[in-house]
Amino acid sequence: MIITKRHLPRRTMLRGLGATVALPFLDGMVPALKPLRATAAQPARRFGAIYVPNGVEMRAWTPADHGHKLQLSPILQPLAPVRDQVCVLSGLADKPAIPREGEGVGDHARAAATWLTGVHAKKTEGPDIRAGVSIDQIVAREFGKETQLSSLELAIDSVEVLGACDQGYSCAYANTVAWRNPTTPLPMENDPRAVFERLFGATDSTDVAARLARLQQDRSILDFVGDEASILERRLGAGDRLKLTQYLDAVRDVERRIQTAEEQSDREMPVVDRPVGIPGTFEAHVRLMFDLLALAYQTDLTRVSTFMFGREVSGRSFPEIGVPGGHHGYSHHQNDANNLAMLAKINTHHVTQFGYFLEKLAATPDGDGTLLDHSLFLYGSGISDGNLHFHLDLPTLVAGGSAGHLQGGRHLQYPTETPLANLHLTLLDKLGLPAEQFGDSHGMLEYLGEV
Amino acid sequence: MTNRLLAGLVVLVCGATSSWGQGRQEASSAREVLDRYCVTCHNTRLETGGLALDTVDPRHVGEDAAIWEKVLGKLRTGMMPPTRRPRPDRETYTTLIAYFENALDQVAAHHPDPGRPVVHRLNRAEYTNAIRDLLGLEVDGRLLLPPDESGFGFDNIGDVLSVSPGLLERYLLAAAKISRQVVGDPTLPPTTATYRTSPLLAQNARVSDALPFGSRGGLAVEHHFPLDGEYVLRVGLRGRARAPHQLEVRVDRERVGQFELGNREPLEVRLPINAGARQVGVSFVGGIGQSLPIDGRPERPPITSFAFTLYPNAPSVERLDIVGPFDGVVPADTPSRRRVFTCHPTEDSALAEEACATEILTQLATRGYRRPATSADVDGLLAAFGAGRDEGGFEDGIRWAIEALLVSPKFLFRIEQQPDTVTAGSPYRIQDVDLASRLSFFLWSSIPDDELIELAGRGALSEPTELGRQVRRLLADPRAQALVDNFAGQWLYLRNLRGVAPDATQFPEFDDNLRLALRRETELFFASQLRDDRSVRELLSADYTFVNERLARHYGIPNIYGNHFRRVSLVNSPRAGLLGHGSVLTVTSYPHRTSPVVRGKWLLENLFGAPPPPPPSDVPGLDESTNTERAVGMRERMAQHRANAVCASCHAHIDPLGFALENFDAVGRWRVTSGVNQTPIDASGALPDGTSFDGPAAFRAALLQEPWVGEFTRTATEKLLTYALGRGLEHYDAPAVRRIMRESAPQEYRWSALIEGIVTSVPFQMRRAEGLASN
Repeated sequence: MIITKRHLPRRTMLRGLGATVALPFLDGMVPALKPLRATAAQPARRFGAIYVPNGVEMRAWTPADHGHKLQLSPILQPLAPVRDQVCVLSGLADKPAIPREGEGVGDHARAAATWLTGVHAKKTEGPDIRAGVSIDQIVAREFGKETQLSSLELAIDSVEVLGACDQGYSCAYANTVAWRNPTTPLPMENDPRAVFERLFGATDSTDVAARLARLQQDRSILDFVGDEASILERRLGAGDRLKLTQYLDAVRDVERRIQTAEEQSDREMPVVDRPVGIPGTFEAHVRLMFDLLALAYQTDLTRVSTFMFGREVSGRSFPEIGVPGGHHGYSHHQNDANNLAMLAKINTHHVTQFGYFLEKLAATPDGDGTLLDHSLFLYGSGISDGNLHFHLDLPTLVAGGSAGHLQGGRHLQYPTETPLANLHLTLLDKLGLPAEQFGDSHGMLEYLGEV
Repeated sequence: MTNRLLAGLVVLVCGATSSWGQGRQEASSAREVLDRYCVTCHNTRLETGGLALDTVDPRHVGEDAAIWEKVLGKLRTGMMPPTRRPRPDRETYTTLIAYFENALDQVAAHHPDPGRPVVHRLNRAEYTNAIRDLLGLEVDGRLLLPPDESGFGFDNIGDVLSVSPGLLERYLLAAAKISRQVVGDPTLPPTTATYRTSPLLAQNARVSDALPFGSRGGLAVEHHFPLDGEYVLRVGLRGRARAPHQLEVRVDRERVGQFELGNREPLEVRLPINAGARQVGVSFVGGIGQSLPIDGRPERPPITSFAFTLYPNAPSVERLDIVGPFDGVVPADTPSRRRVFTCHPTEDSALAEEACATEILTQLATRGYRRPATSADVDGLLAAFGAGRDEGGFEDGIRWAIEALLVSPKFLFRIEQQPDTVTAGSPYRIQDVDLASRLSFFLWSSIPDDELIELAGRGALSEPTELGRQVRRLLADPRAQALVDNFAGQWLYLRNLRGVAPDATQFPEFDDNLRLALRRETELFFASQLRDDRSVRELLSADYTFVNERLARHYGIPNIYGNHFRRVSLVNSPRAGLLGHGSVLTVTSYPHRTSPVVRGKWLLENLFGAPPPPPPSDVPGLDESTNTERAVGMRERMAQHRANAVCASCHAHIDPLGFALENFDAVGRWRVTSGVNQTPIDASGALPDGTSFDGPAAFRAALLQEPWVGEFTRTATEKLLTYALGRGLEHYDAPAVRRIMRESAPQEYRWSALIEGIVTSVPFQMRRAEGLASN
């Protein structure tokens, strides 16, 4: 993907031809684009949640001291350049992930399913899956009103792994952290090309006029299939109707997106090449996805995202950084020094990529500040010690300035078993969406509010 | 006459009475056995394992069928009572099993419950095949659609195939691309398609059957050229383009470009190519310069890529770009245009165009919606046609209609219409058109062909002789390869091979050539078993396999040369049968070592239908003080599992099965020692029922005895039925599974017998009506 560094005409084209280099692909972007929201009185705010699977080597994660001077731990070192925009929170607990009487294992599935929902996931492999609506989707309902996509769900792992789901739990629980409603988990996309096409459309080289024509044709097709689905829906029994209702919901959602796209069709878009596919290395893949996400935020195509470094139980190996075995295997470290070292290496590798993303946002002007100033990110896992599937004292940090609503450079220690949902409730408040309660929350977090 | 009839009636009545009397006697002895051996733990007070057997009545098994099926599962494999408890003798086991099976089967015969598969969205594989069969167009589904969520081990489970806004957008995009390719769009702008090779592909020999003999490395792709026009084929290299290497480019095996490397000429050729799917191949000509001997494996290479370390200086093909079309025109004739445009408007009038469009769209709707098209179906598509025609003429109209059809819920969902006459909750026989779809999606992962739809349209498909004939016809068709790709590919985890990453320092020779060969071996093997209609049990015992040079070297089989696969004998080889396949052995290993636990669990779960219960959540990790360095033998490490009583209860069943395969390393190579200390492999152990073995051959022999071979047959049947129905099996399906096994036993459980058994089974032919039964 290439960004050309020339000033762009108001109506630009998506380029389809030419060589495509993988990385670093958006370096040329910043000078080429005017900040989109420069004229807006109020900067748009963005939210994102980034998940790491299998827990974290906590001894190398937790900062030594707490208070106003954040001392970065070994795993968190890569965040040094953006330290002032990072706040590490210790002591939070994902108690809904703890098994209820008779549920047994399934901690991986429950960890992912509860992390953003705060609601205990129903143990089932069948169609009756149930968790709660996730915080990103609550934000998306509101923030999404003004953007073409209400949210983006991105992942690195493919879901095409057989036999790697927690026993007794539907694979959906471990594959996503985003839940549109308590019964609809949102699938995550791991193919950069598909993400690109969602953002900018499939036609490789169309100008805005062609894109509008395309939107109109999509709209007429949606009219047609919407009618057909409604007729079918009426003829079906309750059980069968469910799938058609889901389909109709999707039709309406895409129609709304088309309408927004038409309204915003005079907006400046960057010249970018479509990525070819999934890059060969983990790092290149992650960075490409983060580049796309940064681009989506910058062009204001969406303001909300979730991202998974891996699905729960991921057994990915990282030979390129000297980690030959599988991630999940090392997470059951049995306190073996080698396993712990490997796990810390993986954790650091993840944080390094996250740091790359934050730095990119910090270098992107947005209104009176940078994209990072106007963003709020939650980074963490639903498991702390993977060896015991421990759901207390979780690795958690928030990053970004949230338009002046968050002060970074701190390490805050909370009493153990403070619900992670208390943080979610606080974050909703900071995003201007105050709520009474979220999941198992019993109040807002202290100190985080201090600016 | 009357007397004889009467006598017959008496016999009938007496027969009925005596079997009933006998049944009652068996039932009361069943009660005794349960009271004596089971109720101590499984009672209302303790409810061990969530099961109470004191309050359920073995005389009326129909009332608690789910419980009794669960009990049967434990009894058949001798898992219960636990080893430390008093256990009944073998005969009591057999009698008890027989009693419950008969009783449950009788209840099912009188009150069949076929289950109720929900509306089923086509998954990615089915969508891709449907495009092929509907429009005559080969597309790469992986580029068009996201992978599907799976359940019960398969990705065709209706319950979990959902639709999200994101997916609908992908369907819209896919439909736009496909309809353009089918009809041809002269305004299509040039685009670049890029095909890459993996850096782990060793390019020292011929890599594909589609490339010329004597060629080396490169890649061959099937590319769809959308228009007649000019295209640029451009090659990118890894490493320096230096002499004396020569490279050539071929389209449909005809050479269209040849390059002497080192001349600094651009590696691209621009030429006219006609629309349609064509094979584009790039490869080096002649032998590799200054290559190392192939087995001269460097010790512990510092970088991860085998291909790089072996040939650090030789260039290899990294990518092929296909750019175009330039000056493209809509072709007069392609396979998909032939398939779609069965007529052309006879004159330039709206009336003539509409008549032809009606003909075309009626045919497409019949195939695409998988039943005779109704006027409502065609009217909807005609409206889309009209909108497109107004924009750009007749062909654009057809393109728009195809685009609409491909997003229509009638195409994307398999919806089985319930007749108005059925009573709520009662089973009914599905209509022939729905049977046609069940059949074709089961055996082809695709839509029914014209013959099936025609038969179904006049209600002739469900006639038993005809149905049998159709099953045999479908199985003989090349499209039945879908059973290998989708059923075996998922059942045996072959699809996971794509993602495995064996540790490059320990297994530097694990290149992509091997990865592909491992998968190919099992696919060819499974396909040959199906084609030759062997017994399903031969999967475990077959004394042959398929290898090419790369795989033969991996297995240590001498005198196999070249890239093509051929059948080799494995008589008296420990590698015989599926359990010797490197594919299975690799996907059940960690990247850096074997895992007897993973292998044992995989065997129990996928081949013997006895998934071990999940470990209790409060189990501590293995003793932390022990030395877990690699020097310690695997067996000693695993012994720790069993030192702990809580772990031991399950690992005593799991681990020995994995140990039996310890002679195969984490990528399936034969070995006799392991670890840096060269610890000799100990592959001895015992099955849960006490049968002991030493080594993979003896292990295989033990598995071919009852009850294991029976459980394997049952599991294979259950997996196939799950896949056929697209839903998880429930307790009420157990009688159908038993019937299929009973009826295919005289034919030695041949694949055709199992498949016909499934097709004629209650759950395949029937469906439960919506709602609760009124009784």
